[in-house]
Amino acid sequence: MDEKLKAIYDAVLVGHMENVAAGIHVALDADKAPGDILDNALISAMEEVGQLFENGEYFVPEMLVAARAMKVGMEILRPLLVNCGIQPVGKVVVGTVKGDLHDIGKNLVAMMMESIGFEIVDLGTDVPPDQFVASIQEDVDVVGLSALLTTIMPKMEETIKAIEDAGLRDQVRIIVGGAPVTADYARQIGADGYAPDASQAARLTKGFIVSVK
Amino acid sequence: MKPRDRVEMSLNRERPDRCPMQISFTPEFAERLQADMEIKGHQVHNPHGGGNTYELERALGEDLLLTSVGWANSYYMDDKPYTDEWGIGWTVQSYETPFGTGHYTEINSHPLADETAISGYQPPDPNRPELYTASEQMLRDFKDEYWIVGVTVTTIFETAWALRGLEQMMLDMATDPDLADHLLDIPYQYHLTAAKKLVEMGVDMIWTGDDMGSQHQMLISPRMWRRYFKPRMENFISEIKAINPNVKVAYHTDGYVTPIIPELIEIGLDVLNPIQPACMDPADIKKQFGDNLTFWGTIDEQKTLPFGDPEDVANEVRQRLETVGYDGGLILAPTHHVQLDTPLENFWAMVNTITGTPY
Repeated sequence: MDEKLKAIYDAVLVGHMENVAAGIHVALDADKAPGDILDNALISAMEEVGQLFENGEYFVPEMLVAARAMKVGMEILRPLLVNCGIQPVGKVVVGTVKGDLHDIGKNLVAMMMESIGFEIVDLGTDVPPDQFVASIQEDVDVVGLSALLTTIMPKMEETIKAIEDAGLRDQVRIIVGGAPVTADYARQIGADGYAPDASQAARLTKGFIVSVK
Repeated sequence: MKPRDRVEMSLNRERPDRCPMQISFTPEFAERLQADMEIKGHQVHNPHGGGNTYELERALGEDLLLTSVGWANSYYMDDKPYTDEWGIGWTVQSYETPFGTGHYTEINSHPLADETAISGYQPPDPNRPELYTASEQMLRDFKDEYWIVGVTVTTIFETAWALRGLEQMMLDMATDPDLADHLLDIPYQYHLTAAKKLVEMGVDMIWTGDDMGSQHQMLISPRMWRRYFKPRMENFISEIKAINPNVKVAYHTDGYVTPIIPELIEIGLDVLNPIQPACMDPADIKKQFGDNLTFWGTIDEQKTLPFGDPEDVANEVRQRLETVGYDGGLILAPTHHVQLDTPLENFWAMVNTITGTPY
């Protein structure tokens, strides 16, 4: 890997915000393309963070710190990427379903998706089915539903039903997650996918886009 | 056999007449149970203490009675939004079940979210005598018969993140150890004071701990646990055992925490709670650590109790008795308060199988 990109990559991995910002400025001054920095430093570092998380070497705090550093980098790059005509990989609506206020799982999923190039629309927590329906604009590719509480899980099914009733089911892929949710449950309620953690949720989503585009 | 003797034998890895049992409920489930058992409760049932008359627990044949002093008592304090004495804001969320509408109280604001609020923050005083009145009364009323547990759960991490915000507290632990230490010490000192007082008053066991696990992984690394939580817990256990060497200590953490169990044993832990079977296999945990720990919990509250049928519940109880309770060392309990989504038939299948199966 190019030395300047490597410096940014390493800084994201350990979550060093100042070094990420400084590294990006150095790389830009050396005429590195913003898209190159995004793909080969920021995104590849966050993919590594996801891998380390899946391997049990990184945990939630390390992931949060890395995602925060990535965000600093994105803020610098975003206007430049827009100028170059670089588009997000896809658009994902995420939210914790009605009745549930827990958000760290959903936030981690959003961070990991954003970190690998998705545009995220975060509807927050306690989101009623009709708000999910209303958020499905033409450019939305995937909807992610989160629930921590066993007693709230039925709201996921209700939300999927509402999306079906609105005639939007074929337009989007729906993924579900949260501590009590399982792959079996996801299938049973008609979701397209389930992932046990944020990193795998991001990879699952990217897989949907690659298979479509 | 007295309930307290049953618990004591089990803790000594002996088999009493039957496995000891402990069950708590959310307020709405308690109401449903009261109606079913035709018991007239006088006060709203709070699973975290405060106003509990222990009528239901005693009528069911439970062996441990719990009395709580600490931030965990802020749960289920009201049926409309409130701010507790720590300055933490709560809201009330409803959920629908086939058996009616239930409510959870959920944290929705954090007084120390803004770093500038930290240095001037005054936590509540754990030395106020009125905090211990209910515990004194229940010790007077029930200690002869029952195993009394002083509850100081949410001891360090959970109260600290309720004060600061979960993500921010985790960021602090990863990037600013001095600040994290300062924040964690606020609830730690409070709950240590409360636990010591409860031990002085004569409780048989202290129940401490914080949720450290998610479904399949720890929330924080074992290394970070060693940095922030192990030394505090070690000191906590040693200070309360210095007051009464016979007092037992139970540690609560939801989720998967297998990597830190050997170190919990090393710092003097007696009992681990609740061993969520969807996260850690109780039989496997018993094999690995059963020589040193008693297990309290193990009845699945994620799937079996709410979604299984009575036979599934009875089978799960029998399986635990065989694979975990074979030499004592087990206190059966659901892995969380029984929620409104649990059918009464499943609840009774649990209770009747526990109380009706002799060792």
